[in-house]
Amino acid sequence: MIGPVHEFSIAEALATQVATYAPATGRIRIVEIRVGALRGLETESLAMCWQAVTGGTPLDGSTLEVEQLPWTLDCGMCGRTWTSPVPFVTCECGNESPAPTAGDELNLVAISYDDAPNKFGDAPNELGVAADEPAVAAQESAIKEPSA
Amino acid sequence: MSEAGHTTRIPLETRVLEVNDTIAAANRAELARRGIFSVDIIGAPGSGKTALLEATLRALAARPHPADRREAADRRYSAVLVGDLTTRRDADRLSRWCDKVVQISTGQGCHLEANQVRDAMAGLDLETVDLLFIENVGNLICPVGFDLGQNAKVGVFSLTEGDDKAAKHPYLVEAADVILLNKIDLLPHLTFDLEVFHADVRLLNPNVPVLEVSATTGQGFGEWLAWLEREFAGNAGARAG
Repeated sequence: MIGPVHEFSIAEALATQVATYAPATGRIRIVEIRVGALRGLETESLAMCWQAVTGGTPLDGSTLEVEQLPWTLDCGMCGRTWTSPVPFVTCECGNESPAPTAGDELNLVAISYDDAPNKFGDAPNELGVAADEPAVAAQESAIKEPSA
Repeated sequence: MSEAGHTTRIPLETRVLEVNDTIAAANRAELARRGIFSVDIIGAPGSGKTALLEATLRALAARPHPADRREAADRRYSAVLVGDLTTRRDADRLSRWCDKVVQISTGQGCHLEANQVRDAMAGLDLETVDLLFIENVGNLICPVGFDLGQNAKVGVFSLTEGDDKAAKHPYLVEAADVILLNKIDLLPHLTFDLEVFHADVRLLNPNVPVLEVSATTGQGFGEWLAWLEREFAGNAGARAG
């Protein structure tokens, strides 16, 4: 297999989970996730796979925001501790092998949705339906108005 | 961001793989209930997972056949689940040494998931089984993060992949309960620096045992089988306690 296979299966699992939180009205615009360094998931690949997985679905057009948690490096020689995007780094003191640790978090942090116009330019009404026909809109207005 | 409309942010903090993890936990409980020790074997395609399993099952099967499982402390009854994209070849090879082999065809899937293991277990008579070997799809990355409900993860590397592969796959090294460095018999023919490999593993996972083995010559199998025996006994102790 070529390409970001790993990111693809994660994007699929994420899309399935996010869909269970879909609001009754409005569309999900932002999906925030947090990823531990052990997972080895690349943000760019994730974004690409997210687009591919959500295309043509209610999640189409939503943005995936990825918070990458870094490695923590612990130098056994000088005692210094710091964070790094990569695990194998030489310490300032010259130690070539400070110990790297990281988590394997893969969390759905938050979703953001709004009731703004969808891509057709129509705002959803209380029924959650875009009124794209004047006749339909008139009919719905008649239903909503209290009886005289 | 849209110019009109109100945006609502809902904090969730859920694990993306929680559905899989829930099924994995159920698998784990079921295996514990049955007193079965299980391992998830993860390694690159061609690292020798199937060959290692064949040799392991052959060694386990070579022990005397008692009439009653309870009379032989060193007799281990095995079952195998093997994940393969499309072929039955691995399952066919393993069936020669074990009569409880289930093939899980993953199609496009690059890793096994807990629901597949659950379904495969349901198709087996686990009554007399002590050891469950799960041979994951050939892949050093994807399978590591998908809990199947196993007791231990076995990381398989091989000499022909190069001595930098531990450093390149920190998740597997960190998550492994034991690492098998396979094809050790080929050392004289390769420029594989054992010290580099071992040093990288120690940096990422200081306590994980690294066993140099050969599925073809049997080198190192004493330690590998001893590790299985110890872990099985430890599992039994935990169950009995």
